[in-house]
Amino acid sequence: MATDAQRSQATGQTDDLLRTVDEEELKPVHVWPRLVSVELIGALVMTLLLSIMAIFVRAPFYRMADPELTPNPSKAPWYFLGLQELLLHMHPALAGVIVPGAVLVLLGAIPYIDRSKKGTGIWFYSKKGVPITIFSAIYTTIWNLGLIFVDEWLPAGDSAGIAPWLKMHGFSDAFAEIFVPIVFMTFIPFSLWVIVRRRWQADIRECMIAMYTFFLASFFVLTIIGTAFRGEGMALVWPWEIPYPPHGKE
Amino acid sequence: MRGIGPLCGEGVIGMPHGAKVWQGGLGCEMSVWKYITQSRFWKSIYRNPYPRDRRTRAMVVLNSLALHLHPVRVPVRATRITYTWGLGGLATWTFVLLTLTGVFLMWYYIPTTEDAYWTIVKLETGVMFGSFLRNMHRWAAHAMVIAVILHMTRVFYTGAYKPPRDFNWVIGVSLLLVTLLLSFSGYLLPWDQLAYWAISVGMEMGGATPLIGKQVRMALLGGFEIGQQTLIRWYTLHVIFLPLSTILLMATHFWRVRKDGNISTPVYEDDDEEKRRAVERRRQARG
Repeated sequence: MATDAQRSQATGQTDDLLRTVDEEELKPVHVWPRLVSVELIGALVMTLLLSIMAIFVRAPFYRMADPELTPNPSKAPWYFLGLQELLLHMHPALAGVIVPGAVLVLLGAIPYIDRSKKGTGIWFYSKKGVPITIFSAIYTTIWNLGLIFVDEWLPAGDSAGIAPWLKMHGFSDAFAEIFVPIVFMTFIPFSLWVIVRRRWQADIRECMIAMYTFFLASFFVLTIIGTAFRGEGMALVWPWEIPYPPHGKE
Repeated sequence: MRGIGPLCGEGVIGMPHGAKVWQGGLGCEMSVWKYITQSRFWKSIYRNPYPRDRRTRAMVVLNSLALHLHPVRVPVRATRITYTWGLGGLATWTFVLLTLTGVFLMWYYIPTTEDAYWTIVKLETGVMFGSFLRNMHRWAAHAMVIAVILHMTRVFYTGAYKPPRDFNWVIGVSLLLVTLLLSFSGYLLPWDQLAYWAISVGMEMGGATPLIGKQVRMALLGGFEIGQQTLIRWYTLHVIFLPLSTILLMATHFWRVRKDGNISTPVYEDDDEEKRRAVERRRQARG
């Protein structure tokens, strides 16, 4: 019944990895019936829930496509609304192609940056893992919301926003729509990395936790704003102010 | 006649007490079961008896196409909901549901700009279970996207992407991309206002690709605007190319899970620490 804590004492390890996994938990059991039954129940519950939903909630189906009738707002499916939200704040090439491309490449690169196998199979890695996750989520959310609000309401002559404000003060389009957004999008994770390293003496894995949390929290915030808080003309509104149905009046 | 059916007691055909088989009595019902499970046909499908002991529990996993994706035994923890949340399995299962309901939708759907919309109207109003299965397809598609994102998040926070599972993580990221494309390509097919304008937003984004924006837009639309060519392109991607890619990637993903040491178990040391400890142990052993 040696717990991991006891074992780590015995081997004299002093790192602060979470040792919450009991030795008992690592004993092998037969896949049949132990795992197969869990999988079967999971599949059945999923099928049941989806069936209930399919009975009671109708899949959206509006009137026939009409190229003449542009709905206001026109929105992509929910999982792309984060990108559509970015589209409001920067050059379309950046929001629509470069950022999502970079996100995919960086996601794929995670195991090649964090190469140590130490910490495999442990939820949140170390005692610092959870605090770092929470801090990163809050830090990212505040930055995201702050930038969205400033870009929505910063007065710039006839319009509002950071790019129009910069252009009003004589900066070029490329500077306002490409350079400045890139600076923000690199500064936020970079500053997060520095803070986490200084405040927690984080190792690479813990920094990676901060980076992934930055990605996930940004995805959540942008998706939620894009889905529930963007109304006519993609203006920032309350969810109940978004025109419904989305294709305009029947 | 005897000897053909080794049924209840002495066999059912021509035997007066054989009628008991159908009249009840647990013993006799069991014999029907026995008759089925001992038939040559049944045994040709299932090579081993119902798994009740160590040997047969191993055999059932090794001898079944569906089950052999698993190892014979896993750590207790792998069976705990709180470790994996079953998310990879659920994502796979939603894909199965989507394939089944998708085939049904394909029976009725016609991918032309004139017919697409009306075939769905007909499906919803005039086909038994039509509305139910279309709804199911839609909600399962969202469920799959959510399951895949959550699965990736689970794998990340448990550190299960670390070597030797590093390349499987890359395959997983590709599966995320393919899942999103599958869902998005299906979005256009109903040819209603929601579909049309969601795709036009998507095309605006794709068209903004630096340097090759025009070409990308042209490739995605099949022309200068969303029309018949676009519909047929996205339909073909949705029902053939992307599902096949997904199946191929999933097969690789599952195979790699097995090759990379099955489900992740806690690792407390990196390679260097392990080596150092091994050297120390050897030195101590020498005395």
